[in-house]
Amino acid sequence: MADRPVLEVHDLHVTFRTEGGLVPAVAGIDFAVAPGKTLAIVGESGSGKSVSSAAVMGLLPSNADVKGEVLLDGRELVGLPNDELRKIRGNDIALVFQDALSALNPYYSVGWQVAEAYRLHHDVSKKEALERAVRMLDLVGIPAAKARAKDYPHEFSGGMRQRVVIAMALVNDPKVLIADEPTTALDVTVQAQIMRLLEDVQTEFGTALVLISHDLGVVAEVADDVLVMYAGRAAEHGSVKDLFYRAAHPYSLGLLGAMPRVDVPPRHRLTTIPGSPPSPGSVKTGCPFQPRCAYTERVGERCITERPELTPRPGEGNHEAACHLGRRPEVAP
Amino acid sequence: MPDLVWFLIRRLFATVLVLLALSLAVYLIFYALPADPARLGCGKPCTPDRLEQARHFMQLDQSTIQQYLAFLRGIVVGRTYGEGGAAVHCDAPCFGYSFPLARPVTTLILDRLPITASIALGAAVIWLIVGVSLGVGAALKRGKLFDKLAVGLALIGVASPSFLVGLLAILVFGFWLNMVPVNGYVPFTESPVDWAWHLIMPWLVLAALSSASYIRLTRAQMLEEMNLDHVTTARAKGAGERRVVLVHGLRGVLVPIVTIFGLDLGSLLGGAILTEKVFSMQGLGELLISGVSQVDVAVVVGVTLFSAFLVIIANLVVDLLHGVLDPRVTHG
Amino acid sequence: MTEASSKSATPKDELLRLDGVKKYFGLGTAPWQRSQSVKAVDGIDFVVRRGETVGLVGESGSGKSTLARLSTRLLDPTAGKVSIGGQDVTKWRGRRLRPVRRKIQMVFQDPQASLNPRQSVGTILTTPFRAQGIRPTRAQLVELLSQVGLSEEHLERYPHEFSGGQRQRIGIARALAVKPDLLVCDEPVSALDVSVQAQVLNLLADLKDELGLSYVLVAHDLAVVRQVADRLAVMYLGTIVEEGPAAEVYSSPAHPYTRALLSAVPVPEPGAVRDRIVLTGDVPTPIDPPSGCPFRTRCYKAEDVCATTRPVLEPVAGGDHRAACYFPEAPLELSNPPLSERTQ
Repeated sequence: MADRPVLEVHDLHVTFRTEGGLVPAVAGIDFAVAPGKTLAIVGESGSGKSVSSAAVMGLLPSNADVKGEVLLDGRELVGLPNDELRKIRGNDIALVFQDALSALNPYYSVGWQVAEAYRLHHDVSKKEALERAVRMLDLVGIPAAKARAKDYPHEFSGGMRQRVVIAMALVNDPKVLIADEPTTALDVTVQAQIMRLLEDVQTEFGTALVLISHDLGVVAEVADDVLVMYAGRAAEHGSVKDLFYRAAHPYSLGLLGAMPRVDVPPRHRLTTIPGSPPSPGSVKTGCPFQPRCAYTERVGERCITERPELTPRPGEGNHEAACHLGRRPEVAP
Repeated sequence: MPDLVWFLIRRLFATVLVLLALSLAVYLIFYALPADPARLGCGKPCTPDRLEQARHFMQLDQSTIQQYLAFLRGIVVGRTYGEGGAAVHCDAPCFGYSFPLARPVTTLILDRLPITASIALGAAVIWLIVGVSLGVGAALKRGKLFDKLAVGLALIGVASPSFLVGLLAILVFGFWLNMVPVNGYVPFTESPVDWAWHLIMPWLVLAALSSASYIRLTRAQMLEEMNLDHVTTARAKGAGERRVVLVHGLRGVLVPIVTIFGLDLGSLLGGAILTEKVFSMQGLGELLISGVSQVDVAVVVGVTLFSAFLVIIANLVVDLLHGVLDPRVTHG
Repeated sequence: MTEASSKSATPKDELLRLDGVKKYFGLGTAPWQRSQSVKAVDGIDFVVRRGETVGLVGESGSGKSTLARLSTRLLDPTAGKVSIGGQDVTKWRGRRLRPVRRKIQMVFQDPQASLNPRQSVGTILTTPFRAQGIRPTRAQLVELLSQVGLSEEHLERYPHEFSGGQRQRIGIARALAVKPDLLVCDEPVSALDVSVQAQVLNLLADLKDELGLSYVLVAHDLAVVRQVADRLAVMYLGTIVEEGPAAEVYSSPAHPYTRALLSAVPVPEPGAVRDRIVLTGDVPTPIDPPSGCPFRTRCYKAEDVCATTRPVLEPVAGGDHRAACYFPEAPLELSNPPLSERTQ
């Protein structure tokens, strides 16, 4: 990474206080993203990937305890009073949600909603804000933006709604854009349009993108770096090529093998990972992936007793994996 | 717009049908009762001859269906009972004539309506403000002391019978503390201050009980609304908590509250029966009760239809408001 | 799957046959709304033969889920004929459909929503037997569970005690209870995590081998369908625009829409150079579809003729592979996968 990272997260912990006790959703993760670059956070349900992004934005409910460091241009965000955080949200860091229909307020026109995002951080008249909103809607490719700004979210197609959400996120020229499954709810041809739009935006404005996704195809296409999360921890971290061509964690490898591909004829069977992802906090000791791991027998007791830390692996520089298996696991165990 | 016109035509047509069916039902029910309005009206001594005369005068000697049709005709062209000098005339729109009260039902309703409307509107404004603000407050302070107090209050309110609370209030504030008048009504046009002063007790009693359900409704809706994604979006945009609540959260709660409020107000305008009784207010509810006890069929049918009409109109207004409040609703 | 191909197959082999099926959903009954209807399925011929897995792909609004529900007679067609096991069942209702339901079962997308949360797994699995007037033995239920990789201990549990993947297994077990010939699966894995999705896809493949099942697999994920389908039908705005042997359609798509659709699917291959066709605009509304070819408004090859009459499915490069297009793409060489020109 040549550029200094604009967003750095160190040893982030998120614990929820619930009636059933403390539930650790994120248990110590690190990541960083530089201007114009894309970091993908990959994981299945319960991996803590969405909680991490909400923690960065300070958007977690009041029963969540956040520990660790979140540095925006070197400025610590964890522990900032809500009033200070409010000025950063939507201004320096903006969020794009998965489901644009529910992310938009059904009672206000889209122009109003984009303009609101601008007015919250700029001392301008409603008219000026609306003009800015129309420019943004036009920029993200909404035809006849001026007329359509008066329409309500339900009057747009899924792809157009996601463009509105992106326009709303970009209206203040944020340094960091966090996109939580931005294309999962969209059809594949529309997904292609939206991913291209996000790329264009990055090239033009130098926005850093944190892409949260379960779709390895999308990740391969747009990410520079990848963080694979499992049960609230980092399983593997590295450049996108490290992950796709030199995966060092059995879980990463399992994900790659389990994914059917559209571009090659089918193999007889997909390789699978037995069982299902654990619920947060259910794995107390050892490696959280151990109950589903095919390599446990080869490593032995250590997987059950000792929690693996991220250790450097061969690759393009920052490649790390949290696995006791020293060498690279074979393809398809 | 043509959609809206069609919608209105359809709804008005349905309204007329409902009112026709309802009036027929009320007629049939009252004529199936053993009590005889003519006997009450024939005076003493009530000879069979006089009874027959009274029947004929009140047009009760016709078949039920004929009477019903005469009632419908009366609405359009008016109606005359008896002949010659003793004749009683009831102008169109005539919703029947009350012989015990010796006045057309239309006049009776219009006389009583200001009283009931004063009680209902005043109480509604109070309970709407109190109910919604306590409900929003409870939702935002969920699980805290404020929430528990508001929910507790709401539970008491929902569980209390209004006549009991009304009588207690009269006893405490009217007689013991001697703070407010315990009965009577002063028209607004005579003295707005006296009008309000005489109505303050019924307002508070009625509002106290109705706010309860508004606290619960608002709290539940607000909790749901604040969990929606678009509220999180508002926070992510950098909106402060006050703006998030008032501009984004409360906006969605408006629709269900307006619905319930419209219907409550509509039915209350047809007569706040218990409250009027307790505070001796001569409103529509009181008119209905006395009509029932005197077997004054004309009054009962008239007031029932009027109440039903108000409820139906309230429904229509609520539906139209939905189109204004929720851009997703179309009247098709 | 019409005239040409069906002559060779006997009706006995045809588990399911749709002829010219249409399904219009009315928007309302008021006089000014009569003419408006959503043309969800607009004239489709479709055949499923014993032992094959037919993938039905398309984007939202293409009518693929409606087609699935028409196939299982959960919906009545507006026009056309539905035949199951060689019998015309278009007009059948209620009781008479029972034996038909036994032949075709449906697996739904959201196992959470399609399983009654108040019923134990045992009760859920008993219901389809009951509908056929059978009292299943415990052994039969355990057998069902073992077919989908669950065991006897799960019989007394309730849906909320299971993970998403296990719930989908229960949904499949319920569909298998009456020993159907054909399973119509509507997005069976789209609600599942990647690692679990692979388990369920493998399960479907195993069941096909063991029980000789056939499938109609409705999905938006083209990679998932490629993994299991023998034949593929691509839908757009209520019509089938291309169909044929899956291997051929995937490697050599003839319809511009299929080509664009396939090129849009991202592949897990960083740095791959891809010749992506990014379609502009949105799918038109099915209330008022374009004249002629439904895809012409977004097509990169559209010419005047496309607006006149709707193209019919015609063979491309001989054989079973057919496309409804006036300007189909030339076949590509099969050995050369068109979509990932690898650089690595």
